[in-house]
Amino acid sequence: MPNPAITVNLLSKHYKVPVREAGLKAATKSLFRRKYNSVKAVDNISFTIQPGEVVGFLGPNGAGKTTTLKMLSGLLFPTSGIPDVLGFQPSRRQADFLRQITLVMGNRSQMSWDLPALDSFELQRAIYGVPSPDFLRTRDEFIELLDVKELVKKPVRNLSLGERMKMEIIVALLHRPKVLFLDEPTIGLDVTMQRRIRQFVEEYNRRYGATVLLTSHYMADVEALCKRVIVIHNGKLLFDGDLSTLVDRFSAFKTIGVTLANGFGSFSQYGEVLNQEAGHVTLRIPREKTPEVTARILAEQQVDDLTVEDPPIEDVIEKVFAQKSAEV
Amino acid sequence: MKIIKLAWSYLRIGIANELQYRVNFFIQLLQSFIALGTGLIGLWLVFTQTTQLGGWSQPELLAVMGIYMVMGGVIQSAIQPNMQRLMDEIQDGSLDFALTKPVDGQILVSIREFRFWQLTDVVVGLVVLVIAVVQLQEKIGVWQALAFMVALLLGGIMIYSFWLMLTTTAFWLIRIWELVNLFQGLYAAGRWPVTIYPQWLRLGLTFIVPVAFAVTVPAEALTNRLTPLTLLGAFGLAILLMLLARFVWRLGVRSYSGASA
Repeated sequence: MPNPAITVNLLSKHYKVPVREAGLKAATKSLFRRKYNSVKAVDNISFTIQPGEVVGFLGPNGAGKTTTLKMLSGLLFPTSGIPDVLGFQPSRRQADFLRQITLVMGNRSQMSWDLPALDSFELQRAIYGVPSPDFLRTRDEFIELLDVKELVKKPVRNLSLGERMKMEIIVALLHRPKVLFLDEPTIGLDVTMQRRIRQFVEEYNRRYGATVLLTSHYMADVEALCKRVIVIHNGKLLFDGDLSTLVDRFSAFKTIGVTLANGFGSFSQYGEVLNQEAGHVTLRIPREKTPEVTARILAEQQVDDLTVEDPPIEDVIEKVFAQKSAEV
Repeated sequence: MKIIKLAWSYLRIGIANELQYRVNFFIQLLQSFIALGTGLIGLWLVFTQTTQLGGWSQPELLAVMGIYMVMGGVIQSAIQPNMQRLMDEIQDGSLDFALTKPVDGQILVSIREFRFWQLTDVVVGLVVLVIAVVQLQEKIGVWQALAFMVALLLGGIMIYSFWLMLTTTAFWLIRIWELVNLFQGLYAAGRWPVTIYPQWLRLGLTFIVPVAFAVTVPAEALTNRLTPLTLLGAFGLAILLMLLARFVWRLGVRSYSGASA
């Protein structure tokens, strides 16, 4: 087995934040004597990621996702635990390390807004010292994949959010990094544009075997791209494993949809009725009772059609966080 | 070598981009002439009262003004825009991108912006300088010219280092817009040779804000006032400020990334 692309062992980041109460008096007081609170943004998390893996990094706002990504890309110095990315210690910011990674932040731009994207691409080439033939090949390949042949000539200022995001992705990948840190790359985009970005990341991963660590609030991104997810909450690691395992573990219920042949029937004896109208019933059944209940319904009712579904992944994730918050 | 190539890429693309906005050129030209006009009126007012100002004759003061404009043009075209962008990026967090590039961070943030049209100040300043030198009716020797160029270069380095330190404080203070105005106000003092100011101000303009070295010292080189000791001092101070700026920059980046926290 090759060396892991990313190894994180008991990584922590604590921030010291000044605290003060509201009001002028408190503000004046804090000018002279500041009180600090230590916030554990990331608290002893550990995981390894193999080369070529695409891992979804999930957690609510403020969970510590971005802090972790920043430590892995060398922007932040960990309070404890030294991560290993491609055999480098990120915070040392060696050029050989930085040449092999990239960082995309959906809410920030690294393009010059006055310049056409093509110029920003050229500057990126100069920064990374990519030889021209390689650069042109990669650039044109990406332009083709994202279908932006005309857009790259316009000043970035004049592009829509989605169009701009395509450019951000291109510019961030022109040096063909081996490790991608994508922080909310699809934030604010419409569904079609999200899908295009997603497909592009998928294609890049397939073609170049790159390792991807992705955060997103859109579960569609995660479901499409990541077999494996890491869930953190309040800086602590809650789950690391297959997406399907996460669903199994954290969703106690399944949803059964029944279409009735005669249009009527009583269903409250099987479980919680979520919805019943015009010959269609939706039930919420405890996971372990699903086979039994399904069999009973089929035996006792006149059924036209029956479906068993996992709840939407959003609901599962929400449940994970709600559960853990209650515990903490 | 790679850095020079990179700087050239930025310069080339920056210029090509700005050439599209010709209106800016005319506005800038107008501004340069207004600055020139007010400067000349100031000179004229002084010389209706006296024939000398702190030992500087009329053409000599004209030379000071020319250098002031040239240096001001360099600051406005190459130094200040980079520092403003740095300030913005520290504020909105997009400096992260610059810091994850395989290029020295300080150099990268110092070469990204170039305001081509601001060079009109440099051109107008040079014209003023040539006129002043012709009026001086003195022969400028090779060594003198060389000393002038070196003094100008050292002055530029000092101003850059000073600006970088000023901007780097944004890592701690975040909002420092007023500093830009502060700098411009202080730089305006360089319009006159610093030797005419009271001593406390002269010292401030020499060692705290290196306006003296940026304008007065090059002017001294042109007007036979420069002693080798001053030039040596300028050299020493330039190196010192450069190292200090480097140190402060590193400190700023460290605190940004929380290495010390």
